[in-house]
Amino acid sequence: MNSKKEKLTGMYISAFVMTVVGVLIGVYGPARLMPRSMSDNMHLSILTIVVFTIAAAPVAAGVYAVALHALRHWTHRGDNVPAPADDQTREHPVLVTSWVLASTLLTVFLLIWGLGALSVDNGGVGRNPLVVDVTGQQWLWTFSYPGTHVESPTLVLPEGRTVVFHIKALDVTHGFWLPNMGVQVDANVGTTTEIHTTPTALGSFDVRCTQFCGLNHAFMVSTGTVVTKEKFAQWLSAQSAKA
Amino acid sequence: MERSKAVATALVSVLLGGGALALAGFALASAAPHQAAKVCQPTTPGNCTLTIDSYPDALAGEHGKGGGPHPDWVSYSDFNLVAPTNTTVTMTINQYDSGGALNNKAFFGRVWGTEGGTAQYMIPTDKGADTPVQTLSKVDPSNIGHTFTLRGIPGNASPLFVSVPLPASPSTNSVQVGDATYGSPVRVTFSFKVKGPGVYEWNCEFPCGGSREGQFGYAMSAYGYMSGTLTVK
Repeated sequence: MNSKKEKLTGMYISAFVMTVVGVLIGVYGPARLMPRSMSDNMHLSILTIVVFTIAAAPVAAGVYAVALHALRHWTHRGDNVPAPADDQTREHPVLVTSWVLASTLLTVFLLIWGLGALSVDNGGVGRNPLVVDVTGQQWLWTFSYPGTHVESPTLVLPEGRTVVFHIKALDVTHGFWLPNMGVQVDANVGTTTEIHTTPTALGSFDVRCTQFCGLNHAFMVSTGTVVTKEKFAQWLSAQSAKA
Repeated sequence: MERSKAVATALVSVLLGGGALALAGFALASAAPHQAAKVCQPTTPGNCTLTIDSYPDALAGEHGKGGGPHPDWVSYSDFNLVAPTNTTVTMTINQYDSGGALNNKAFFGRVWGTEGGTAQYMIPTDKGADTPVQTLSKVDPSNIGHTFTLRGIPGNASPLFVSVPLPASPSTNSVQVGDATYGSPVRVTFSFKVKGPGVYEWNCEFPCGGSREGQFGYAMSAYGYMSGTLTVK
């Protein structure tokens, strides 16, 4: 039988190893598992996931280490009442105080980070934003550009210019989601919702619906493209000529 | 002994659960509608033609005599369309139904994605007589029977978006279609190019399903009536 110290040392080591694994997952996981970032919102979303995962790693590791320790050393088989474990810890003010203090600091940090991220997301849109009217209906997204006569089944955006989406639905509730942009908001009937982002990378992206909206909800996927400001101006005038 | 019994029980539970899931999946796949393919007929190299109908009920077309389980539901005649790769598909739709206003008039009142951005319309008179064919890029969005709206799924097939509004038929004469009787149809013809292999989804965007919010219930919420696929292979 191991001594109490040896058993606890094993628990601390497993907690440390799991913390390191958690931190590595936090550092390398989100960038690989989440959609490619194409906007300032998405940069912030990925950074938030990274920070929160790293912050949560020691807490999760501690919980798992204690659970594994209990499973390994405190499992009892048979009908008789087990003897008290020799590695119990009782009335340990330093441990309890440290745990409560660390949890409080961690929670306050996450709260402040979250409020800051929300504040950045809801911040001003700056000068000369591009407004795009987004209409969701079963089972298609359509886009129009106010001030022009341009309507399109695909979403074309200029790089580096803030875009304000005015979103509505014509039939049932839809969810307007640009996975690469970190943008997701409901499209409601009778109400216009607003969200903004600034594309920071050229390329194509999907426009998806996140609210189950009927038979062809799974096919309610449109294509979006971020192009240079010059190409966007060319596209807009070409579409205006067609309209 | 107790431990090995518990392990065996867990294994059997997992196997039984997996088997039940597989059985359910097989049953669902078997229950899915399997309609005979309507293949685009080659005309000249790189070109083919496809003709389908849209009806005010399900009495004609693929639901058979009596209209199947929902004879009063609006329907297209075919919903499993097939075309060869790298082909220009010339499609004709005979639209027999009456209609009303689109709920996204500016967008779905326009012709999208066809060659030349237009479609050819023959709208009969109320007596059913043919009228001269008109080449149009948009139609009156307040008098639409249905739309044929075809789109690709990103990552699944080459990009493609085609949407053609099909005006309501004003005809009040009687034309026999199978065992059903309708007015003369609006005839709409348009062409679009398909590229590489893939499966595209199409449906009607006119709120013709009745019931539920947005009139997209019943026929609009069931496969085999107002939606289908175009398989390019």
